[in-house]
Amino acid sequence: MSEPAALAVEEVMAGYGGVLALQSVSVTARPATITAVLGANGAGKTTLLRTISGVVRPRRGRVLVGGQDVTGRSAEDMARTGVAHVPEGQGVIAELTVQENLRLGAIWRRGRGTRASALAEAYQRFPILAGARNRAAGTLSGGERQMLVIARALMARPRVLLLDEPSLGLAPKIVSQVMELTAGLRETGLTVLLVEQNARSALSIADQGIVLNLGQVVAAADAAALASDVGLRKHYLGF
Amino acid sequence: MAQFGELTLGGISVGMIYAAIALSLVLIWRATRILNYAQGGMAMFTTYVALLVINHTGSYWAGFAVALAAGLLLGGVIERLVIRPAESKPPLNAIIITIGLLVFLEGLAGIIYGGQFRSFPAAFSINGLHIGSAALGISANDVFVAVAVLAAALLLGAGFRYTSAGLQLRAAAFSPPVARLLGVRVGRMLTLGWALAGLIGALAGVLVSPSTFLYPNSMDSIFVLGFTAAVIGGLDSPAGAVAGGLILGVALSYVGGYLGSDLVPLFGLAALAVVLMVRPSGLFSPAATRQV
Repeated sequence: MSEPAALAVEEVMAGYGGVLALQSVSVTARPATITAVLGANGAGKTTLLRTISGVVRPRRGRVLVGGQDVTGRSAEDMARTGVAHVPEGQGVIAELTVQENLRLGAIWRRGRGTRASALAEAYQRFPILAGARNRAAGTLSGGERQMLVIARALMARPRVLLLDEPSLGLAPKIVSQVMELTAGLRETGLTVLLVEQNARSALSIADQGIVLNLGQVVAAADAAALASDVGLRKHYLGF
Repeated sequence: MAQFGELTLGGISVGMIYAAIALSLVLIWRATRILNYAQGGMAMFTTYVALLVINHTGSYWAGFAVALAAGLLLGGVIERLVIRPAESKPPLNAIIITIGLLVFLEGLAGIIYGGQFRSFPAAFSINGLHIGSAALGISANDVFVAVAVLAAALLLGAGFRYTSAGLQLRAAAFSPPVARLLGVRVGRMLTLGWALAGLIGALAGVLVSPSTFLYPNSMDSIFVLGFTAAVIGGLDSPAGAVAGGLILGVALSYVGGYLGSDLVPLFGLAALAVVLMVRPSGLFSPAATRQV
């Protein structure tokens, strides 16, 4: 093993109250790769992301970022550790303007210049947001909101990006734009965990994938191998 | 006509006090979705602290500054110690805690300072101002009251809008889970929201007490009218709180001047009832409720 995994989840168990949403889940992601996290509703995909980002505390197991044990850190601290979590349902703060949403993404970073250049970079990458910077985020279209939350996550210059259902509720054309954008993030060295209902399009851009069922990993392999496994597709992926 | 002008100016001055109380309620409502029934009690308590300092040092401004600092501290400490544990519980718990807090603060003030009415000094002269020989119906101190509250409201508004802390306060208020994921220390922001509310409440206490005397229950009626102002303006809107305070102050001033001062409390409560019936979200907040 030359370099440590960008993200390693080791035998994590987590849940809410009496319900165990993750039994014993392990995932390892190398730097600058995309890992698709697939499975039916209630399989534990969102809980996995929430456990990594510190929203849910694991009852057992470890979470490592860049080889460093970060198990049990709060969500606020995980953001500072370099883990950006874009929750399902997009999570723009509708009452704030586009620019205020973006500024929040880098709010904890030191140096006025650092924050300003992150903002300029975001507008350069997403010109559509630059044109809407003073509008309330609530007035954006679904696709624009998805751009905004991804741009906002990137403001923190994270090492690991957790994307929860970015295609949810978007038109097919926009979905392929979002997928293209996500694929492009890998080129910047970012490690992406992509939770998707839309398994086909997720696997089309991913390097590897895991399939969850009832809180357990039932398959973990290269994206191409998962996509060509007919039985798996029929049972868990629905395409 | 002269009476109309007098009543209007007097109403604005009193309305600014209601506005300050309303503003403090709005700050806490926005941050934690809690109606702080102890706001008047907190203001009463910090005003006693101010009186103590003024009597000790002989300086009004030392007392004024200490009251504001005490309000800031009291608000923050109360959030940390008694509100925080109830934050994940149903909202009714926190509301009952604030009512308990009011009883506690008023009881404590009675034990420490006694129940007698004490006079509280004004910052400036309370003699009526004149233009030539025409009386304006307001004093230099009334002008100071209006300017102080307006300045506090503008500073708060600018702080919310243009500073990093203000942005984090708003994010924490609108969407705590998202704010947390972005690295905003949401808990600290809630404490800061309560602390700022304590400060504004303390300002209201110091400004109103020259005209009401100071005793453990002295802020009760002011609190009810401040609450009415906040409801008129909409509990979510700081600008609405100031507007609500002004509207209420001027309206009650006309009622007192033209119909008789006995009717003022009655009209205050009637205004509260009518606004709650007709437009419970307030006159100044968007009619639609927030969709999540």
